[in-house]
Amino acid sequence: MNPLLTLRVGDVGVGTALPTTTVHLTRADLIRYAGASGDLNPIHWSDRFAAAIQMPGVVAHGMLTMALAVKTVTDWVGDPGVLVSCTTRFTRPVVVDELDGADITFTPTVTAVEGTRWTISVEAVCDGVKVLGGTRIEVDCG
Amino acid sequence: MPISAEHVGRRYPATDPYVVSQAKVVEFARALRDGNEVYRGKRPVAPPTFAIVVAGQAWDQMFHDPELGLALERVVHADQGFSWQRPLRVGDEVTATLTIEKVRTRGSADFIGSLVEVSTTDGEPVCEVRATFVHSHPAPEEDVR
Repeated sequence: MNPLLTLRVGDVGVGTALPTTTVHLTRADLIRYAGASGDLNPIHWSDRFAAAIQMPGVVAHGMLTMALAVKTVTDWVGDPGVLVSCTTRFTRPVVVDELDGADITFTPTVTAVEGTRWTISVEAVCDGVKVLGGTRIEVDCG
Repeated sequence: MPISAEHVGRRYPATDPYVVSQAKVVEFARALRDGNEVYRGKRPVAPPTFAIVVAGQAWDQMFHDPELGLALERVVHADQGFSWQRPLRVGDEVTATLTIEKVRTRGSADFIGSLVEVSTTDGEPVCEVRATFVHSHPAPEEDVR
C-alpha cells in the first residue's frame, strides 16, 4: 500500500470525475515559470515581440499549461511517483493579458481503468476555447 | 541546407551533467503553485515535468544546429509527451540526449519529432521526453527582401 496515495483504489472507475480547478495566470506567473524552466522565449513576456510574429499577445508556456494539467492529477492521487506517461497537443495559445491575466479551467476525468492502471483525460479551456488537445495522463497505483 | 528527412536519426552528444538540487525543485514547484510535500520532504522528488529543465538544454542543441537552419521565432511547440521510468530525485546527476526521430515537410512548414532521453550519469534511464516542433518557412515576400 502506497502511503502517499490520498484515495482508495477501489473507488475509481471509468467516468470518475476528478476535481475541476481554475487557475488564474498573470504575467508574473509566466516570468516565474520562465526562470524556473529556463524557457526565456520572449513570446512569453514581450508584447512587441508577440505582435511582430503575429501573435495576439504574450502567451503562456505550453509546458506550464501542461504542468498545471498534470498537477490536477497529482493533487488527486497524492503521489506524483505513480505517473507513467502524459501526452498533449498545444492546440490554441493561452493569451495572458498584462493586467487581466488569463483563467484556465481544467476538467480531468478517468477514461480507462485496467486494474491499478488508469488513464485520465484532462480538458483545459481558456476563454471558452480548448487550449490542450488529447491530453492523456497514465498512472499506475499498484 | 534546410532541415529535411535526411536529418532523421541525428543524435546529439549528451548534455553536461546536471545535478537536481532541492532549491531548483522548490523553485519549479512554486512556479506551478504546487505545495505537495513530496517536493520538500525527507527524500524529495521533482515535479513530473521538471525533466524539461534538462531536456530544454538538449532542445537548444537542435535549435542552434547551424546545419538545420532553424529560425527560433518561427518554431512552435505542437505536442509534448513524457514517459517516466521513475521520478527525478534531488541529488540525481542526469544528462539529456536528443535524437531527431521524424522530419516531414508539409506545405510551408517542417514538422520535427524529437526524443530526449534523460538518464543518470550512471546510465539509469529516468524519463523520455517527446516533442513535435513546427518550423514554418518565411513568407515569400521576406525572401525577396
